[in-house]
Amino acid sequence: MTDFDPQEFLLKKHAKYCLRFLGLLPPGLAKQESSRGTLVFFTVCGLDVLNQLSLINDGLRNEIIDWVYSTQVIPDCESSTNGGFMGTTTLNVKSDDPLVLKNIGKYRKGHLAMTYTCLATLVTLGDDLSRVDKRAVIRGVEASQNDNGSFSLSASEEGNEHDMRFTYCAASICAILNDWGNVDKARMKEYILNSLRYDSAFSQDLEGEGHGGTTFCAVAALQLSGQLDSLSEVQLEKLKQWLLFRQIDGFQGRPNKPVDTCYSFWIGATLKILNAFDLTNFTENREYILSTQDSVVGGFSKWPRCTTDPFHTYFGICGLSFLNEPELEEVMPSLNISMRAYGKLKDLHNSWINENTN
Amino acid sequence: MSDNSDDELMPDWIPYSHRPEWSDVTPLAQDDGPYPVVQIAYSEKFSEVYDYFRAILAANEKSERALKLTQDALQLNPANYTVWQYRREILKDLKKDLHMELEYLDNIIENNTKNYQVWHHRRVIVDQLNDPIRELPLTENVLKMDPKNYHAWQHRQYAIKKFNLYDDELAYVDRLITEDIRNNSAWNQRFFVLKHFGFTSEILGRELQYTTTRIKRVPNNESAWNFLRGLLSQCEGAIDQSSYVNDFCEELYESGGRFVFLLAFLIDLNERRYMQCEEESKKAEFYKKIEHMCTILSTDHDSIRQNYWQYMLQRIRSN
Repeated sequence: MTDFDPQEFLLKKHAKYCLRFLGLLPPGLAKQESSRGTLVFFTVCGLDVLNQLSLINDGLRNEIIDWVYSTQVIPDCESSTNGGFMGTTTLNVKSDDPLVLKNIGKYRKGHLAMTYTCLATLVTLGDDLSRVDKRAVIRGVEASQNDNGSFSLSASEEGNEHDMRFTYCAASICAILNDWGNVDKARMKEYILNSLRYDSAFSQDLEGEGHGGTTFCAVAALQLSGQLDSLSEVQLEKLKQWLLFRQIDGFQGRPNKPVDTCYSFWIGATLKILNAFDLTNFTENREYILSTQDSVVGGFSKWPRCTTDPFHTYFGICGLSFLNEPELEEVMPSLNISMRAYGKLKDLHNSWINENTN
Repeated sequence: MSDNSDDELMPDWIPYSHRPEWSDVTPLAQDDGPYPVVQIAYSEKFSEVYDYFRAILAANEKSERALKLTQDALQLNPANYTVWQYRREILKDLKKDLHMELEYLDNIIENNTKNYQVWHHRRVIVDQLNDPIRELPLTENVLKMDPKNYHAWQHRQYAIKKFNLYDDELAYVDRLITEDIRNNSAWNQRFFVLKHFGFTSEILGRELQYTTTRIKRVPNNESAWNFLRGLLSQCEGAIDQSSYVNDFCEELYESGGRFVFLLAFLIDLNERRYMQCEEESKKAEFYKKIEHMCTILSTDHDSIRQNYWQYMLQRIRSN
């Protein structure tokens, strides 16, 4: 028998869990090497939503910021489309040999998902983004857009993964830097609407299956680009119904699939954007999320009594924040950062506008 | 630091530094900066393989041994998109037989069915080969293990679209729906295939029957109801087909069916009638029906969505 209340949200333990992930990770996580930027995002933003950012002292804060910047690709010429963040140091080497640097440099490219998570982390830590090569980042985003309006993970002649995920990341990056450059928003919208399925949900790409994660990406990208009004009243109402039908106790990502903690964020955030989150059942959602928390060492997993990870931990915390759990920061649903961080971002935008007008 | 999981993967492992054929290469270390965060304690093997990979990259070496090295690097981290990209460049430079690459990938994909990078690599290779011969069997194999694997379905759609492989797909989808009538991915694929051939009134009639038969079998199956809704949206103006669906739903209801998705569907049908109706007394009748259904949903059949059904009623009332 357990000696704690299963309905108790163990905030302090989750904070420790997040903090632990900022440190040294076991070899088993080597497969996450290419996306360390997302691990930093989940832990830093997790602490922020937990209202425990003060656990990161100034020294550590600067170390995180410096590390994130060390994964930025700063192109050496104006025409390069390699700008952005890699979110990993796999291709960082110490060398004075120009040929070595040139050969490796060819493969150092910003990655849209990493650029988004790195920028969100910097904003959350209160960095002023002054070391971001903003023009280069936006050039990279512009060059990642495909003819059908979608975005790829980076600019590439070979063509690479392109879908709703990267379309969302592109929109977030532009929203964070408050600059859409030559991104073709109309074509982006067209791509998103072309991925609206017969069941009123959005798919990862065109005629794929409607899915909770990709529906978030689609709706958030529309909102961030100011194009949410391109969905008709009827489409919006049907979409809300599809989203609300995902609630079983927690939420599932697709019809007839099992419930998973992360969809309390993906579905919850989408309903928040559509002002329909209050139509969900708070009690059952909360109970489910809490059934997936590890009461011994903190963290959340997708199912009860499963292995925890930073991804489900962050989204479990956000899911509870939507439910107005006391002591948690409010989350800005479409950018997926805290409202506090979003406020700081707004201040930054204002300061950039003033700089430009002075 | 040792990592048992890596050792299990490669039991006869000889470190690169002990291999004579690699003695001319100086490994190139990763620079994680003075204060790394989310630092991973790589196994010795992982560090070494990637040190040699960086050295190869720095020398722009595209050779047989470099190709083998990418294989080790990818086994340790199949999510490293740079290694995949470099591997493709080597394959191109050495003019390798890409059919062999497909064989190699069959195995990798089976062990990493939810990894974006392997599926992407597969797609680029298939594009270059311009030959989809193995794609349907491969995805079928993955879907046998996990019939709702999103990556496999996406790849399957890519191959079908690009190489016009629609012909036998309906039979495959039908088999999957027979195996699991709740497989939403299979229903989606069905819509994808039908859309390609076009919704003629004959096909619509056949599909309406197909779907309603399956709803009768398992009435509270959201996938089938959504599909029915999708079919109806293709029936614009086709009164016969709309009334077929109306009759089907009314009958199911009259015979005592109180399934959530049936009731939700009936609310839709009645809302449409309510909006189109100009006769006040009839309008009130439709509204009454809607009100009844929203009420029983929120109190008896779908109380988790109580707020929603009340919202629904209010929304229709205010229209």
